[in-house]
Amino acid sequence: MIPRLSALSFRTKINCGIVLIVGLIAIPLAYLTWRAAAESLQTETRKRGLVLSENLAMRVSDAMLSMDLLRMKNMVDELKKVDDISYAFILDRQGSVLVHTFSGGFPVELTDVNAPDGPKPHIRLLNTGREFIDDFAAPVTIVGTPFGTARIGLSRTKAEAAADRLALMIVFYSAAAMVAALAPSTLFARRVTERINRLKRHAEEVVRGNLDPRAGPDMARACSVMLDCDKTRCPSYGDNRRRCWLTASPDQRGEGPESCRDCPVYREQKGDEIQDLAETFDVMAVSLKTHLDELRRAERVLSRQERLLRTILDATPDLVCLVDENARYLAVNRAFANFLGLTSEAIVGTNDRDVFPEDEGEAMHEENSRVLAAGRPSDREVRLRRGGSPVWFHVVRVPVVDGSGRVIGLLRTARDVTQLKQFQEQLIQSQKMESLGKLAGGVAHEINTPLGVILGYSQLLQEDVPDGSQIQADLQTIEKQAKVCRKIVADLLGFSRQAESAKIEMCFNNSLMEAITLVRHALSLEKVVIATDLDERMPIIYGDPEKLKQVWINLLSNASDALDGRGGTLLVRSRLFAHEQKVTAWFADDGPGISPDNVGRIFDPFFTTKPVGQGTGLGLSVSFGIIKDHGGSIRVETPAPEGFFDALDAPDDDRPGTVFVVDLPLDHEETIGGGLPANATEA
Amino acid sequence: MRRREFLLAGLALPLLAACGRDEDAVRVDLSRREEPVLRQLPRAVTYAYLPQYAHTVSYERHRLLLDYIGRATGIPLRQVFPDTFEEHVRMVERGEIDISFSNPFAYIRMAASGARAFARIIEPSGKPDFKSQIICRRDNKELRTIADCRGKRWMAVDPSSAGGYIYALGEFFDNGIRRSDFAEISFAPGPGGKQEKVVLAVFAGACDIGSVRDGTLEILRGRIDLAQIRVLAESKSYPGWVYCARAGFSPEIVEKIARAMFALRYNRPDDAAILSAAGMRGIIPAVDADYDSVRRLAETLGLDALPGGEE
Repeated sequence: MIPRLSALSFRTKINCGIVLIVGLIAIPLAYLTWRAAAESLQTETRKRGLVLSENLAMRVSDAMLSMDLLRMKNMVDELKKVDDISYAFILDRQGSVLVHTFSGGFPVELTDVNAPDGPKPHIRLLNTGREFIDDFAAPVTIVGTPFGTARIGLSRTKAEAAADRLALMIVFYSAAAMVAALAPSTLFARRVTERINRLKRHAEEVVRGNLDPRAGPDMARACSVMLDCDKTRCPSYGDNRRRCWLTASPDQRGEGPESCRDCPVYREQKGDEIQDLAETFDVMAVSLKTHLDELRRAERVLSRQERLLRTILDATPDLVCLVDENARYLAVNRAFANFLGLTSEAIVGTNDRDVFPEDEGEAMHEENSRVLAAGRPSDREVRLRRGGSPVWFHVVRVPVVDGSGRVIGLLRTARDVTQLKQFQEQLIQSQKMESLGKLAGGVAHEINTPLGVILGYSQLLQEDVPDGSQIQADLQTIEKQAKVCRKIVADLLGFSRQAESAKIEMCFNNSLMEAITLVRHALSLEKVVIATDLDERMPIIYGDPEKLKQVWINLLSNASDALDGRGGTLLVRSRLFAHEQKVTAWFADDGPGISPDNVGRIFDPFFTTKPVGQGTGLGLSVSFGIIKDHGGSIRVETPAPEGFFDALDAPDDDRPGTVFVVDLPLDHEETIGGGLPANATEA
Repeated sequence: MRRREFLLAGLALPLLAACGRDEDAVRVDLSRREEPVLRQLPRAVTYAYLPQYAHTVSYERHRLLLDYIGRATGIPLRQVFPDTFEEHVRMVERGEIDISFSNPFAYIRMAASGARAFARIIEPSGKPDFKSQIICRRDNKELRTIADCRGKRWMAVDPSSAGGYIYALGEFFDNGIRRSDFAEISFAPGPGGKQEKVVLAVFAGACDIGSVRDGTLEILRGRIDLAQIRVLAESKSYPGWVYCARAGFSPEIVEKIARAMFALRYNRPDDAAILSAAGMRGIIPAVDADYDSVRRLAETLGLDALPGGEE
């Protein structure tokens, strides 16, 4: 089975090529030489034969005239000594053989096979059966008279044998040259093969990802050393591992490698094609490594950026998603997935109709389509149902366009604005209440005077009627209800801040204690105990003592109401925060607390949980207004912070309790208004 | 695979084309052998020219003359080619040469064995005899008379040359100058043109005096400045080359041949071609006594048997 040519090893190919080349040169050369030599020898033989025969004819003439047979015999015998002369003989004018060189008689057939062509000699090829002989017949002429014929036979076979020997010699020397050429060619092929194999191993290393090994040889000196170059920023500077014409920057090389032809570095270090290949390979590996490093670096950066982006997207509470031009999800953030209760992977590829309830999905899909079609951003607030309660989202849709301006998708961001919406509602409510308060204040101011008249006259009338009479009783009822009305009017005026405020420097603790003393007895009847924990530094504030006392009483009675007649403990605590320039008071009860729904509304005017007739719903809102008027703040914490009552002997642990926290500024300047918030739990 | 086969075929094609020869060979059986036998030559009168030159030159010179004599007399003649003077003389003595054409010195030897002269030639100079000339450079003031030749360097043509040496030697002898009186006697080197070489040697100053047969200077006219050559002395005239018949040869045939020879006239173009080729102007009758002067000279100089040489 002959192996395919392409599958043969390089060394075998080179050897075969050399054998073929030498063979192709030697065989035609041997053949042509043989032919040329044979023809040349034949021509020479003919010439020589002619010369010899004519010479013999000339020399023999004297001997023929004197019929000196011995001289003639000597002449022909002399010729016979020549190797390739088969025979020589002389015929006289009548064709008789005078002398000849044959032994054992003269071959009679030879006499007539050839004869001179007139005065010229004639050549005829004879075949004796054993060899071919060129027979030369030269006329022996004396003064134009033919005297006989000199005949010589030259063996062409012997002459051709010489040509054959020559051809054989050429073939032999060619074969020797072939053998001689095979040794260096084998060495050369081995050298080339080794270098190619090295290159191959190098390539395999590169394929495996190992870009460090080098295929090219090192240089003795770097180009910067040879040229005494000081361009230290050049990539080739000091590098004796790679050739500068491959690595140097274009501005160092001029017009590229072509310009290096006359450079001494190039002339000294230039190798053959395989070295060029190896060096180019090295440079390629280095370049590849550099690019790979850059790629890895870029990948790391990208990955980090992606992580950052993902983190940002996932960390944001907004629902972010990217949809394609067919309104299908391309990517969603974690908040979005959590909102839908699905994984990101499950969402990608679907659309709004698939993941949202039917009516919501359809509306969102239509809005998406509208933005995609129009290519303009949209900004909507939508209301969705989740867990039975409505949730408001502010949805922004921004179309995403490609380089040619075509819309290829949209980015949708939905922010939960439910709380904001509630605040808006509360604000609207507050504004309504404020207007209502002003209206009520105006009305109260107008009613206050006639109410005073009614009260005054009812008291006067009581003096005019007998005690215990029905009229007196009625008058007392009128007086009592008029006082109730006056209280309501006073509250309304206070709420609308139409009552005058008289602020002085006052002791904060004294103000508290006054209020506590006023209500302590009344509350004790309802089994409510008031405990105090006042700051001993006796902080002084700037405020209206009456109004503040009203606030404290409101808070204490509110707390007492919260206990719902079952008794309990009220804790009043005060603390001075000198460095924050504020004083804080806590009014805590261990009652049932306030439901979460009501917490946001307790400072609203007219909001009350008490039965009709027992509260106006103005107490806390009036207190809120007074504290705000003093530049402070009031807030509620329910349930009470853990451990708030630890200092007391609290009988029940199961009631969460409520704490009202009041902050008031120490500063006299009212411009501080608003005050600083305090963290009560840290006190 | 098909492509590979074509490739191999392409490589093998020139090798296959090498087989075969581009000319037809004549089949010869060398095994049939016979020992050749020379044919006997037809009987004829043998004629020889003293081997002064190569056989082919001898043949060329006398071929036309022999043809003429054969036609004129009806007697078949065959020129034979002795290799040396000595052989020529011996062949005449042995009767292998019927008619001999030789110089006077060879003749007096052959005459001793019975050969008899019957004709002699008229030299190209137009005279039936010739002489030797002793030459020197015109500017050689030392040579005024033949007596001044003593102690000089002499270049002669050849030891056997009649006109180029022997006749001059006879002249020196008559003037009392012996061979030992010369500082040096040298002979012209190499074959052919020896007479001319002597003239050139004198002209070049390689020797003081030279001896040539008369007529030689004319041959060189135009090639060298003959005004620079002075003829110092001339020898006596002696008869030229001679035809003789061997002893015992038929006098009738000799008569026939002699008549044919004498009939040649240089003024006839056909005869002139024959005579010119043979280097003569004509052939005239001769008798043995014509050569007594030569016999005397030979005796004087002590020359018994000369091997021959240039004229």
